[in-house]
Amino acid sequence: MTPQNQHSSDLISFVQNQVLDDHFASLRYAGIIQKALMPDPEILKGFFKDSFVLFLPRDIVSGDFYYVLRIRQYLCIAAGDCTGHGVPGALLSILGISFLNDILQGRIDPKANRVLNMMREKIMKALHQTGEKAETKDSIDIGLCIADCDSGKLQYSGANRPLIMIRNGELTEFKPDKMTLGLAPLREQPFTNQIIETLPGDKFYLFSDGFADQFGELTDKKFKHKHLKRVISSVSEFKMAKQKDVLQSTFLEWKGNTQQIDDVLIFGFQL
Amino acid sequence: MMKLTAFRIKNFRSIVDTGWQNFSPDNITCLIGQNESGKTSVLEGLKVFYTGIISEDVLRSDLSLPEVSCRFIIPEGWLIKVTDNPGTELKELLSSLSHIELTRVWIADLSSEIVVSGEISQYLDSLEDAWRLYLGDVTSKLDQEIHQINEMEKVLSELTKEELEIKAKLPGGDTRGLGFRLFARKPAGQVSSQSAQYPILKNRLNEIKKNKEELSGELRGKQALKKTGEIWKKLKDKYSSLDNHLTELSVKLEERHQKMTLLMRPVDDDDDLEWKGILDDYRKTRSERDIQKAELDRHIALSGYIMNGSTEEEAGPKVNEIIQSYKSQYNSEILGKKFFEYCPVFELFEDFGSLLPNRIDMEDIITGNDQVEGYKAARNFLSIAQLDYSFFQQPSSRILKQKIENLNHTLTRNFQDFWQQSIGRNNKIHIQFELDHYSAAYGQKAGKPYLEFWIKDEGERLYPKQRSRGVRWFLSFYMELKASANINKQMVLLVDEPGVSLHARAQEDVLKVFEDIKDKIQVIYTTHSPHLVEINKLHRVLAVQRDDLDSLRSTTRILDPLRLSSASPDTLSPLQSILGNPVSGEGFSSRKFNLIVNDTGSFYILNAIIHLMGFKGKVSVIPSTNISSIPLMCNILMGWGLEFSVLLFENDKEIKIGDLLKETVFKTDSNRRDLIVKMPEKFFNSEDLLSTLDFKNHILKTREGITVANSEYIREKEIPRNFMFSRFLTDVKDEVIKLSDFDEESFENFKLVIDIFKGLK
Repeated sequence: MTPQNQHSSDLISFVQNQVLDDHFASLRYAGIIQKALMPDPEILKGFFKDSFVLFLPRDIVSGDFYYVLRIRQYLCIAAGDCTGHGVPGALLSILGISFLNDILQGRIDPKANRVLNMMREKIMKALHQTGEKAETKDSIDIGLCIADCDSGKLQYSGANRPLIMIRNGELTEFKPDKMTLGLAPLREQPFTNQIIETLPGDKFYLFSDGFADQFGELTDKKFKHKHLKRVISSVSEFKMAKQKDVLQSTFLEWKGNTQQIDDVLIFGFQL
Repeated sequence: MMKLTAFRIKNFRSIVDTGWQNFSPDNITCLIGQNESGKTSVLEGLKVFYTGIISEDVLRSDLSLPEVSCRFIIPEGWLIKVTDNPGTELKELLSSLSHIELTRVWIADLSSEIVVSGEISQYLDSLEDAWRLYLGDVTSKLDQEIHQINEMEKVLSELTKEELEIKAKLPGGDTRGLGFRLFARKPAGQVSSQSAQYPILKNRLNEIKKNKEELSGELRGKQALKKTGEIWKKLKDKYSSLDNHLTELSVKLEERHQKMTLLMRPVDDDDDLEWKGILDDYRKTRSERDIQKAELDRHIALSGYIMNGSTEEEAGPKVNEIIQSYKSQYNSEILGKKFFEYCPVFELFEDFGSLLPNRIDMEDIITGNDQVEGYKAARNFLSIAQLDYSFFQQPSSRILKQKIENLNHTLTRNFQDFWQQSIGRNNKIHIQFELDHYSAAYGQKAGKPYLEFWIKDEGERLYPKQRSRGVRWFLSFYMELKASANINKQMVLLVDEPGVSLHARAQEDVLKVFEDIKDKIQVIYTTHSPHLVEINKLHRVLAVQRDDLDSLRSTTRILDPLRLSSASPDTLSPLQSILGNPVSGEGFSSRKFNLIVNDTGSFYILNAIIHLMGFKGKVSVIPSTNISSIPLMCNILMGWGLEFSVLLFENDKEIKIGDLLKETVFKTDSNRRDLIVKMPEKFFNSEDLLSTLDFKNHILKTREGITVANSEYIREKEIPRNFMFSRFLTDVKDEVIKLSDFDEESFENFKLVIDIFKGLK
């Protein structure tokens, strides 16, 4: 390699690194913005008796997002999981947050399933999904709860994301509709609304599929939803902060040195 | 001078009795109704009121003879001017009248006469009644007198008979020959007994003689009366015989009518000859009977004076006097005939005869063969051109051609003016007619003249029938109007189905023309086209329908504007098509609660909801064609006394209409539930009653994301609302879409709608 060539190569390497640095810098900034769009865990303390958010993005920005909004006596809680991860997922998650704000802030008497119905419309429209052409298949899976703090009733509607409730140490899983927010192979059907009469001490968990889908270093198998439920059940007696710690360490242990395959989000709360 | 204001038709085709029906005071009356309802019969009834010409096929199955009456408004004092020497009482009556009624009555031979009816005829009838009463009194007295004379004659005859008997019993009948009787006398006892009777018999004989003398004297005094009675009897018998014969002939005529009505075609020639004989006999007998009746009446009056002792010579002038005092010089027929001279001309404009033909034989025009197609149009044409047959006998063909060319030019220019001014069209239509003769190829017609018509437009020369129906109709109608102007009389134009074959815009042009001419010509037309009814001029509408809507044998009924609400939905379909577009079987109802909604789309959606929810309540959803028609509909329904509410959605237009209704229609600030029903704010229009998802799945049938209200989406995308919603309703009715296919959001909204419907009272 001639000195001239060497110089050129260095220059290219420099430029490439410079470009990468710029990319990372802008991603990091995007990550900051994304986090800013989600409520600070400290703020959540004002909404719940107790709560935790285990939020482990695979990359700098995440396709998972969580959402809390208080409108009069209603507390709206959601955990979303956008298709993919990284930048595409993050962009979609921002859309999701924006749509949730848009829909919920105009509602007098919000119904969880109707919020999801509307959100699906908005996503399909935003992504120009009509089912007629080869459009993007991006979508959001989400679990949405709307708690009426006056009546103690909790509405739940889920797009592929379940809700887990622990009552007196016993786990109940509320199954979601097997539909996503976005274009799906089958024609859109209405989401169902499940109403839960909450009791003091009830604990609820919304989560993305990142935890359960994570391959273990030792087993090379997915953690699986069943095991996640078992873990949640086992830690449910703890304070929320402790639950988060246990769940996080469980995840990290399971993952070991393998690559995190997806963003991880678990949102636990006690009303 | 005489303006037609009302009519009444009896026993004409499907009509038994329309009762008095008023025409619209603004000179345009519209008869609406289904096919076969009797609309055209009304026009024909009015036409024959004018012409008097009917055929058997207008008779009803019971063969009752038709009677058509028309009421006219007349200027004050006009009747006096046209009636010479009416006499004090009649003059007083005529000067007080502001209207007259004329009735055309037909008799068994289907000839007719116009009589004045109404108040004038009542007065004349009262005079006639008094005359009849007088004659009745005289007749009764005369009868008694004749009876008395007969009795006296009978008594006289009996007395004569008794006298003869007594004379026979007396010897010799008198003292002469007494010696002979004594000579032959019977034994003493016997003789004395017979002789004893003689004085009694003699006395009786004297009494009889006296009575006879008295009776004979009296009968001599009644000799003139007796003669009168004999003449009376003869006249009466003759009159009765004529009357009976007339009744027999009437029966035969009825049989003929029956036969014609059943055959629906003319009978054969032999029958026709017989018929002609009967008809002649009927007319002759009728005339003779009337003369006989007048003679009989006069004789009765004469008898009255003779009974009072006048001689025949003395009684004659007295009879004339009393007839004059009891009977006006006018009767219903005379006055009817007189007033009818001033009656407007009734012209029927219909497609067959009134539309300009391609060609017509001169012979048909000259002979007045109105059975030939386009006869009337051709006649109108000649009338406008002020031509008669002599025009075509112009020996110089060059002059004739020049004259025809000039006429074509004038007619064209006049029609173009009309076409532009009344219809607002600018295309240059040229009218041309030509006189030609049939060639040898036409056999019997060879050499005969005919008229041929052409309409040229932008260089294209076409026969009238090759032109659009609109141009042909308007041209023919224009000629009708122009021809009527030549008549120099008022005109009532009867137009049958003017819009039947015209495009919607052309139909609206027809209305424009009617408006244009209404100050000069009264127009009465039939239609079932919504484009020929002006919704803000409902006072012009008369609804015609059958008593039993499903039976063509039932009678025709006419409903005036205030009773339109009781007309069937089908009859009112032109009105409802303007106000809204009813789906079959739906419409204004007096048995259901009428719920006015903004448009047809909402009508479909709400009916789909009613169907889905199985709602059986008595609510009839009435769509308005557009929101601005709602106040008008409310006015109409209020006028008809129907129960209704207006369902308003939450959009700017309907909010404004709600305010307008409160201010100007209901005149109340309160949102009375029974007048305005406001939908909750989230429903901008009826499609918002469906969730977005259901709207997409069941109406749009697309998967596109919709983030705005359904109504806004429809507006933005300019989607054919009525078509989509109509299809939706059909799917619901066909159970392609069921209630279980809807989400809970839609269901909740449907429930809300049904709760609103349940609350309607």
